[in-house]
Amino acid sequence: MLNPNSRDTLDRLVNLSVQNQTYAVRHEREKVVSATQGSEDGLFDPALPGLSLEERLCVALYACLLTPAPELAAEYEGRLAKLSANVQTMAHIKNLSIHAIQDTRLQAMLNFTHTLITKPINADKQALLSLPQAGLATAEVVTLAQLISFVSYQVRLAAGLRAMLALENQS
Amino acid sequence: MSTPVYIKGFTNDTLGWQAWLDVVQLAQATPAQMAVLEESHPKAKESDYYLFLVHQPEILRQRSLAFNAIMYAPGGLSRAERELASTVVSRINGCVYCASVHAQRFEQLAKRLDVIEQVFEEPHGAGTTARERAIVDFSIALTLNPDHVNADSIAKLKEAGLSSPEILDLIHSIAIFAWANRLMLNLGEPIFPSV
Repeated sequence: MLNPNSRDTLDRLVNLSVQNQTYAVRHEREKVVSATQGSEDGLFDPALPGLSLEERLCVALYACLLTPAPELAAEYEGRLAKLSANVQTMAHIKNLSIHAIQDTRLQAMLNFTHTLITKPINADKQALLSLPQAGLATAEVVTLAQLISFVSYQVRLAAGLRAMLALENQS
Repeated sequence: MSTPVYIKGFTNDTLGWQAWLDVVQLAQATPAQMAVLEESHPKAKESDYYLFLVHQPEILRQRSLAFNAIMYAPGGLSRAERELASTVVSRINGCVYCASVHAQRFEQLAKRLDVIEQVFEEPHGAGTTARERAIVDFSIALTLNPDHVNADSIAKLKEAGLSSPEILDLIHSIAIFAWANRLMLNLGEPIFPSV
């Protein structure tokens, strides 16, 4: 039985169900499962002060598109659509044309996302300082960096679990 | 420990790290921030890294729970092999600070540094045994091209003798350093010991 309504995002997106050996192996490390979901819940908590939920989902969507991680990109796009997010902004993100976004604060966040996802070694002090220059408070910079870094973790965990499940299904 | 090595800009020396933006001052920390610092790391209150991340205490709390469960939980992949994977990911991403910390941990656990020296020199193909080479190869692949990892990638790890629980621990150790490296690389910089 698949698990379409699981509260665990990765189990749901990877299609892990209780009969799978990969599910059993994953849930032997329950502390990791719960802290992974807990991190996602914390980063996308609508009540988190600072960056709006729409800004956070735009960053996550863009990060997944750049990786690329299509299933997670579709997940974050779906959540953005439910918020009635700005359609034009979403189109620019999906076309990877960040320069066309009018909102300079969001544009600065997405430029930072591009550097961290594609070539993290290139993010120097100036890249970080561009964020307070675009109006982000320090706590917002922390949220943004944690969010991009978390998505980098989440896409690799999803890819690894999907590969384990694929091998399991071959045998 | 013996004299630290310096290879291609990477080292197992003890480095410092400083944040590029304002950290939380302990005297101004809220009780919630103090609690998260105490459960994150024994030296978190003296560390710019934790004092910066604790601007968002609940996010740091969950990150520390994940990190500590991945790197220190008993059973599964040996702790030395988790540290090897972390060091490979840090070398590939260019995180000199993370590489230094986890190279030291590998040496403490494994009582040798040979494979780390190979990783610093050239990560592709590094490893003193077929099992280590499989761990290194997979760490590079999942770091650089997560979308290309597939059933064959996992089958190669099994051929090298890794069990499914060990492979899961390896995936976790690689993925958590995609996270850690991006914070350490982009929020501040390492400080080298003065010579």
